[in-house]
Amino acid sequence: MDNSDIHSLAKYCLNLIEHKNSETKCTDIYFEKSKYINIEIEENSIKNNEIGEDNGVSIRVIHKNGSLGFAYANKLDKITIERMCKIAIKMMKVGTPDSDFKDLPGLCNSYPVVKDLFDKNLKNLEIEDSLNYVNDLIKTCEDDDMAISQSGNFASGYSKTYIFNSNGLNVSRKDTSCIISSNIIVKNKISNETSSGYERQIERSLDKINAIKVANLALEDAKRNLNRKKIKSMKVPLLLTPKSTIALILRPIAAAVNAETFQYKRSFLVGKRDQKIGSDYLSIEDNGIIDGATGSQEFDDEGVPCKNKKIIEKGNFLKTGLLHNSYTAGKEGVESTGNAARSSYISIPSIGITNFIMKPGDISFEEIIRDIKEGIVLNYTGDSVNLTTGDFSGLILHGNLIKNGEIKDPLNETMIGINIMDLFKKIDAVSKEYKVYGAFQAPYVRIKSVNIIGGAD
Amino acid sequence: MEISDELNEFDEKLIKQLNQIAKEKVEYWDIRTEVNNGTSLDFTDQKSKEISSFEIINCGIRAFKNGGWGFSVLKDLKRESIKLGFQRAIKLACLSESLSKIKFNITPRDPLIDQFKNHRKKKLEDIDIEDKINLVKEHEKVASDYSPYVKNTRTIYLDGHSQNLYLNSFGSNIIQDLSFLRLFCLVFTNKNGAIESSVNSVAGIGGYEIAETNKAINLSRKTAEEAVALLDAKSPVGGKFTIISDPKLTGTIVHEAFGHSCEADLVLNNESILKDKIGERVASEDVNIIDNPSMGQGSQFNLPYELFGSYFVDDEGIPSQKTIIIENGILKNYLHNLETSSRMNVPPNGHGRASVSSERPQVRMGFTYLEPKDWSLEEIIEDTKNGILCEDFQYGYTHPTSGNFQFKCRFSYRIEDGEKKEMMRDVALSGMILEALNKISAIGNKKTYNYSVGMCGKGGQNVRVCDGAPYIRIEDITVGGLN
Repeated sequence: MDNSDIHSLAKYCLNLIEHKNSETKCTDIYFEKSKYINIEIEENSIKNNEIGEDNGVSIRVIHKNGSLGFAYANKLDKITIERMCKIAIKMMKVGTPDSDFKDLPGLCNSYPVVKDLFDKNLKNLEIEDSLNYVNDLIKTCEDDDMAISQSGNFASGYSKTYIFNSNGLNVSRKDTSCIISSNIIVKNKISNETSSGYERQIERSLDKINAIKVANLALEDAKRNLNRKKIKSMKVPLLLTPKSTIALILRPIAAAVNAETFQYKRSFLVGKRDQKIGSDYLSIEDNGIIDGATGSQEFDDEGVPCKNKKIIEKGNFLKTGLLHNSYTAGKEGVESTGNAARSSYISIPSIGITNFIMKPGDISFEEIIRDIKEGIVLNYTGDSVNLTTGDFSGLILHGNLIKNGEIKDPLNETMIGINIMDLFKKIDAVSKEYKVYGAFQAPYVRIKSVNIIGGAD
Repeated sequence: MEISDELNEFDEKLIKQLNQIAKEKVEYWDIRTEVNNGTSLDFTDQKSKEISSFEIINCGIRAFKNGGWGFSVLKDLKRESIKLGFQRAIKLACLSESLSKIKFNITPRDPLIDQFKNHRKKKLEDIDIEDKINLVKEHEKVASDYSPYVKNTRTIYLDGHSQNLYLNSFGSNIIQDLSFLRLFCLVFTNKNGAIESSVNSVAGIGGYEIAETNKAINLSRKTAEEAVALLDAKSPVGGKFTIISDPKLTGTIVHEAFGHSCEADLVLNNESILKDKIGERVASEDVNIIDNPSMGQGSQFNLPYELFGSYFVDDEGIPSQKTIIIENGILKNYLHNLETSSRMNVPPNGHGRASVSSERPQVRMGFTYLEPKDWSLEEIIEDTKNGILCEDFQYGYTHPTSGNFQFKCRFSYRIEDGEKKEMMRDVALSGMILEALNKISAIGNKKTYNYSVGMCGKGGQNVRVCDGAPYIRIEDITVGGLN
């Protein structure tokens, strides 16, 4: 199925719905074609090679009273699509009125130019040509004395998306991405204690992938967590690595500034707009137009242009700091921020981040840790913040004691308890070094003092 | 049984051709194809947000040669595309084989040729969409009207029907026809700026009768009641405590903290604390843990439908069956798929499962449970001087190589001198699973035994699961809190 087929199918669909039903206010049609390759490592050996493809369509129809009907299928023939149109209308008719729905977006005069979102080397990449990345992972693990096993993968994908709507919108885009991941297990040969470390890299283009670096970071991560000790409870400074900055600061804020969550009053930031919610070190933006970044797009999944938005500036939660799709924007009487997101053709647009960034500071990591006499560095926790209350009490899965500015013993059975509104206020240093993990960019962050609950008697 | 057109494409002639293509090139192959359709109704604050319907076809073709797998996923089920996809899988298997360092074979099994269909009293397709909508509206109304503190409600109704075909090079040819229904209620409450929430769900394999049981009918009231009660709950004080854990929480601990380490793929990859422990004592003597995903177990919980985690055969054509994991504290068996059972030289036990046909089967649990013993709940509470009674969970996880677990409970009550006291929220429990299994000091009787349903995630795939347990008591558990 090529471009002209999709355009004529979309046109046929839009006409069909318009003629079938005078109660319809607007319609959008979303097509997605994708393909991927994936090489998997288990037990530090290539185990599986995979190739796949998908294509699908979804149809969203909205009644003059705001009721929404939705249907999707992964067969792109005329008969299936015609049936989906009829089902979507049937679904729309049984829904309830929703006066909060205003309209779908129209076609814009101009869309931002964002470079390097598509890499033709990736689109045409064959499994045979990607094996060297996986071999780099395997060799790094093999060459290490303490590493006993590794699982990981290299995957690349290409997708083409088309969005059409009854307001004349007609846009399409091509995306590529690739990911390399490594989970390495190390063993202390004397005590038999084992530990694991994880690292991954996601990019839009192939030439940025560095497999050896990813495997080495996973190894370091694993080794830093070997010979774990229980500690006593204490109240000390907490140093967040970029991974835990994402878990404790960026993810909760990303969820809390989602306009849908906010409008339903499910967010811990409700009632705090235009207020100071953190120390001067806390500045966050959502930037959808960075060249080559994983979270960048020229337009969102409803066809609205992406842009850069300030969310929190020097601790102030800006009044304009919410992320909108066309529905939540219409409800609030503002413009969509270009944050409509679908997981694929199977979902109606919800709201998602583009590139969610905590602004780096101007001092180095070394300077930040140097001042900590006794403290904890948290690398990761499997816990997440309670998004309605902001409470966080989590187990330190990877974390170490800091003594006199140096990273020491890793921790076992140690927990942290804090409300994150309190954590935001206690940020007293942010590093100039930062890391990018997918759509998040995060620095090292120091929190003045936090309750640590130790497992030692 | 009426078979979908897409599945009928795989007739004798095509299978013969595929066998010809595979001959002498690979040692094993299988094909899974499914045709899925369903409905989803999503309401918030008594308004519909999404009413949708879908039709999805998936096909995954796997080929194997001496330690190497190839997998090819396609959506277009024309005869020629199937053959091309099949050839692609073979080529990928040969490539994997040329690179893999770990060599093994898949032990041949007897073919299974059969068709299965779960019982459904009220067929989902016979129920009008309006009736389904009215059901959701009623739940929304009950939750919204429950209390002035209820500020936001959400109810999601999902139903689906899946017909899938399994073929392999042993000659198996199996059709499974399953229908399921899930209903979720989510309620947010707000009192003087403090926000709380609760969530509950009912799910099973069967027809519309799943939505009409008492448990389903009371779902929204129960959820609203809980979200209101939590508004007055206090934050816990951290420290070491004796814990009494309800069936929902215990089942989750058994599944998350212990069950995953019994999955033989993790054992082989050195990601399990149970490696080389078969035949060893891993829990106190009273502990018996079983996984039994076979059909016909809904009745023990008085359900007119099948448990959500049940299936007739797994996604590698092996019938679901009862597997004893721990017997009287001794580790007896791991859970296996075809690959792990072949490599460990034991029979497969029906745990090769994939979320959809376009994903590869992994080793997964089905219905994992801890067998009840003899304590009544009253006896356990009375016998506890100082402790915390923990009910339900928000989430939980375990560090695979250490067994360090963490579970966030939904409701907890302080126990003082054998009496249940005030409610606490967000109690977080942590410990080392093998230590915890040895510190179980009481296991509840059959009356305290219950099951819960969920979706379990592993390697990006979510599969239907159930777990079961009585109330139990565990000593010396670390409790984290904000205070």
